[in-house]
Amino acid sequence: MNSLIKEIKDSIGDNDDLFFTEHQLTDLSVVFIGLNSLVDLGPSIKQLEKMGQKNYSSKEKLKQISQLGEIKRNASEITSLLLEGKLMIAISLNSDSVVSVDPVPVKLNRAIDQITNENTMLGPLVSFNEDSLTNIGVMRKQLLSEKIRVKHFRTGIHHKKALSLIYYEGIVEENLLETVVKEIKGNSKSDLYSLQDVTKMLGITPYSIVPRVKTTEIPSEAAQSLLKGKIVLFLDGLPFALILPSVFIDMFFLESDKNLTFPLMISLRSLRIAGTLIALIFPGLYVALVAVNPEVLRLELALSIAQSREGVPYPAFIEIIIMLVVLELIMEASVRLPKSIGPTITMVGGIILGQAAVEAQLVSNLLVIVLAATTIANSTVIGVQNLISIRLLKYIVLIFSSVFGVLGILAGVFFICAYLAGVSSIGVPYLNFKHSKGEGNNG
Amino acid sequence: MLKKMLIFSLLPFLLFPLSGCWDNRDINHRVMPISIGVAKMDEGYKVFLQIPEPSSESLGTRIVTGEGETINQIIDNISVNMESAVDLLHVKVIVVDKRLAEEGLNDLISGFIRSRDVSAKAVIAICDDNIDQFFESMENAEGGEGTILLDYFEKYSGWDPHVALSRVWEVYRSSHSYTRDVAIPMIKRGQTTFLEIVGSAVIKNGRLVEVISSDETLLYNAFNNKSTRGKIEILDDASVMILSNDTDYKAEFTDQTPHLQTTFNFSVMILETNGNPSAQDIKMNLEELLLDRYKALIVKLKTSEADILGIGQHFRKEIPRKDLKNWRSDYYPNLAFNPIIQVDIQNYGNLKHTTN
Amino acid sequence: MDRSVQVVMMYILTHLGLIFFLYPSNIIESTDQGHWIPISLGIVIHIIFVLVYLKGLSFFPRRNIIMIYSSFGKVYLILFLLPIFLYFISAVTITVRAYSEILTIIFLANTPLWAVMALLLFIPFFLAIQGVQAIFRTGILVSFLFLPFLVFILIVSFQNVDASYIYPLWNNDFSFMTKQSYINSFFAISGGFLFLGFIQPEISYKHKKIVIAFAAVVPAFILSVYIPLLTFGKATAETFLFPFVLALDTITLSWIMFDRATVFFLLSLITFIMLFISLVLWKASIIIHHSLPSIKPVYIVVSLTFVIYIACLLIPNWQQVQMLFKWNSVLRFYVLLTVPLSIYFLGHLSKKKVY
Repeated sequence: MNSLIKEIKDSIGDNDDLFFTEHQLTDLSVVFIGLNSLVDLGPSIKQLEKMGQKNYSSKEKLKQISQLGEIKRNASEITSLLLEGKLMIAISLNSDSVVSVDPVPVKLNRAIDQITNENTMLGPLVSFNEDSLTNIGVMRKQLLSEKIRVKHFRTGIHHKKALSLIYYEGIVEENLLETVVKEIKGNSKSDLYSLQDVTKMLGITPYSIVPRVKTTEIPSEAAQSLLKGKIVLFLDGLPFALILPSVFIDMFFLESDKNLTFPLMISLRSLRIAGTLIALIFPGLYVALVAVNPEVLRLELALSIAQSREGVPYPAFIEIIIMLVVLELIMEASVRLPKSIGPTITMVGGIILGQAAVEAQLVSNLLVIVLAATTIANSTVIGVQNLISIRLLKYIVLIFSSVFGVLGILAGVFFICAYLAGVSSIGVPYLNFKHSKGEGNNG
Repeated sequence: MLKKMLIFSLLPFLLFPLSGCWDNRDINHRVMPISIGVAKMDEGYKVFLQIPEPSSESLGTRIVTGEGETINQIIDNISVNMESAVDLLHVKVIVVDKRLAEEGLNDLISGFIRSRDVSAKAVIAICDDNIDQFFESMENAEGGEGTILLDYFEKYSGWDPHVALSRVWEVYRSSHSYTRDVAIPMIKRGQTTFLEIVGSAVIKNGRLVEVISSDETLLYNAFNNKSTRGKIEILDDASVMILSNDTDYKAEFTDQTPHLQTTFNFSVMILETNGNPSAQDIKMNLEELLLDRYKALIVKLKTSEADILGIGQHFRKEIPRKDLKNWRSDYYPNLAFNPIIQVDIQNYGNLKHTTN
Repeated sequence: MDRSVQVVMMYILTHLGLIFFLYPSNIIESTDQGHWIPISLGIVIHIIFVLVYLKGLSFFPRRNIIMIYSSFGKVYLILFLLPIFLYFISAVTITVRAYSEILTIIFLANTPLWAVMALLLFIPFFLAIQGVQAIFRTGILVSFLFLPFLVFILIVSFQNVDASYIYPLWNNDFSFMTKQSYINSFFAISGGFLFLGFIQPEISYKHKKIVIAFAAVVPAFILSVYIPLLTFGKATAETFLFPFVLALDTITLSWIMFDRATVFFLLSLITFIMLFISLVLWKASIIIHHSLPSIKPVYIVVSLTFVIYIACLLIPNWQQVQMLFKWNSVLRFYVLLTVPLSIYFLGHLSKKKVY
């Protein structure tokens, strides 16, 4: 047995889906090498046969076969190509080179689907899927411009992943592009499995409460980011686009808002900002008003709260923490659970939180209203990541306000502002006000 | 980055122990009196607290009293003896007995302003009755949801242009200002209603010096450009309702004598007539009635040297500040006051008005 | 990148924070009538010195005053930067101590002073270690969140105003200029503008745009004094420690779900003060960093904060705070006078050298 084939066998190892099939391609005998989990062999052979139907001498045929694909001689390269789903054709088991061809692949990708996590009103419904090439195709369809540039990278040692980078030539911020490309090339050995790995590779701290990389599964959002000079990354296997850099206003501004008229867009966006503020402040406000500064409340309200809290055994801070934790659990559980059991959680949660806890005088009924308002308002934020950041950040305000009352709320909000102001990824500050204004001059 | 992480992870640990460090009592563990009554005893004070009792069904009222040397000491004592701590943050009405008002409210009011516990917006009233019985009757009063006294003075519920509405900060201001005094309502227990407005007490430098009637209080409110809308005036031949009012002032200062010409414009609506008086008659009668009342009021106020109308305000331009200090004694008694009343009959209701 | 908006906002916010608490009572106390005279004198001095300072700075494009002084030699560094540094430290100490006392007096009666001081130092410290750009960005965000409150409250604060209290307008007595309370009022006038000379290489701005900020700060100076004055009259207002706070207490807004809605105004001013403190902490830290470049800025800020916190704890009562205001006024005037003028003259000097 020849060393090249042996090397291939050794490096892929003990895999039962690796095949070495000898086959008469018209009248030339060749060996097909591939992984039958990735290559649909029958149709592939048929396709190849169609190409070589004319009668040539065997030498010409060899040439022809070599024209079907690229000639490869390096075993490790061949291995990784095999893992990508390429088919190798060797003239014989002894040949020192193989020809790598694109076979008919086994269908492993789902079709382009509807958006599942980021529902939009009045926006396109196409979403990205797990295959990065498909995603790039979708992007190309969004922006028909010769200035779109796509760069492919392969990273990882144990695990070769395709990472694609898209930008808009001329609009993209040069510094940003340079740093990103430099970071990717410099860290090409890191294995990428998740978003955290990607951020780490780009030199962004993973210890961040706010998302440093914006994710979206809506192609039009990604396309608009390109037009704003941002960079879009696709990691093979992640069904969303990674947009760099992520900025503050992404929490509130959705591109599909622009399908509405201007006043409607403004009101929707301000609604989201208000929602975020409510989600941040309300729990803290409840604790501040009930425990520290009741004089701020109107008398009538103060009396009715006092009345509803009559018999509640623990301080307001503990009360709200307990209920918030239960609420967070319900939210997390309803994500985890299969759709068939989900409604049970909703129902049980609704009964426990809404009714029983109040009637058993474990919490005051105002608290239930506060929690409901918080949760609803929280959900107005765009993006799952942002939703979770706000969910977490509200505890900062809550803790401050339990100590300092109304001052604590403002101090907490100020603290969050200070935190956000200090965040910057790849040289672009999170609170980048220039981007928000720069929309106009990108046309 | 690790450093930042460290700070973040330390932060909650720093704050958690803090929150339990001092007494941040929850709202249901605070006793929040709505009104507070203060009476002068021979030695020290007696304090009444009207406390709404939140129970599961409705709000009841509870009256707690205490005696002692100072207000704060009494509150403190009550606090000790009650199941929850007393918190004066929500006091909305302060009732003082007549004796205390006559002796002077300055210490009481400046105490309230100083501690900032009691809101500067609390309404102050004088009880022209036995204050013990007054508060006792509150405990038994039906309905009101514990806010009965407050409702009398709230602009959006029970307030009426007959009532002089003065807040703690205004009383405090009057005890310092050179040119401004206040009138505060005088109340007592009513026969059929919970309370009855006796009139208004004229407070000069924090001391009660004169009492004016409800009708005169209306003029006081009109003078200060407060709305007198809805007030009904009865004449011999008709009764009218005031729809709106506004006041213009013209101040002159000649020969060390202040002259003030005040034009009051009332818009009224005719409610009932007796016989068939002409619009002109009604107008004349009303103007005359109001004019007489004004003149009487001014005479009364001048003798007591209390400037509740704030007339001195109009002469701040002319009188130098060092003389302004003596406005009440030197200039005010010489005031030449010239009220002009103009009544305009805005409409006649649903009926056409025909003269004869 | 031109960050004039951030600089203008920062200028406005820090001044608003400084103006509304102590300035009104200082001015009301300083004279009996015609309060606009001391106010406008202060404003004129403020504007003149800011303009001189800006003019001086414009001779040195893209350089901060530390670089400027150090390019002229060690003497200048010691002569000017040392007092500036001392002024900053004392200003932060006084601000933290005074404002936490204010907070406990008017708002947090149950909260111990050390906790309030810790809050007033911890958050600015957190902001200061993130650097000057973060401070300015926070300024923008904070102004979006809290300035609308402020404008709203300033509008409703006219509710109980009686215009007659404005008289008498004129005052021939100019003795207020030597009164301690008037001198103390320069805490608000001279405290906030030095940062314009520190931020230059990191944050560039157009000097002319600072003039826009005057339009916001000047009314604040006037309103902070005249709203309590017109609500209570001079004789009453002078008895208050914080006249503006009490003037806000008198506002009745029956259609808001909060009873003392004005506390939100006061507390948003406190956040502006935090911004001010973090800015001063940062300025002090870069002065140290200049003379001891081997120490990391983070450690400088940490130790400064710690020292200031200890100093704050050592001040037992309001009387002492007043004393400090008095002592601090020497430094305050030294800094107010010498820094803008020296920068201006050094600028002229260097210009001549070039020719």
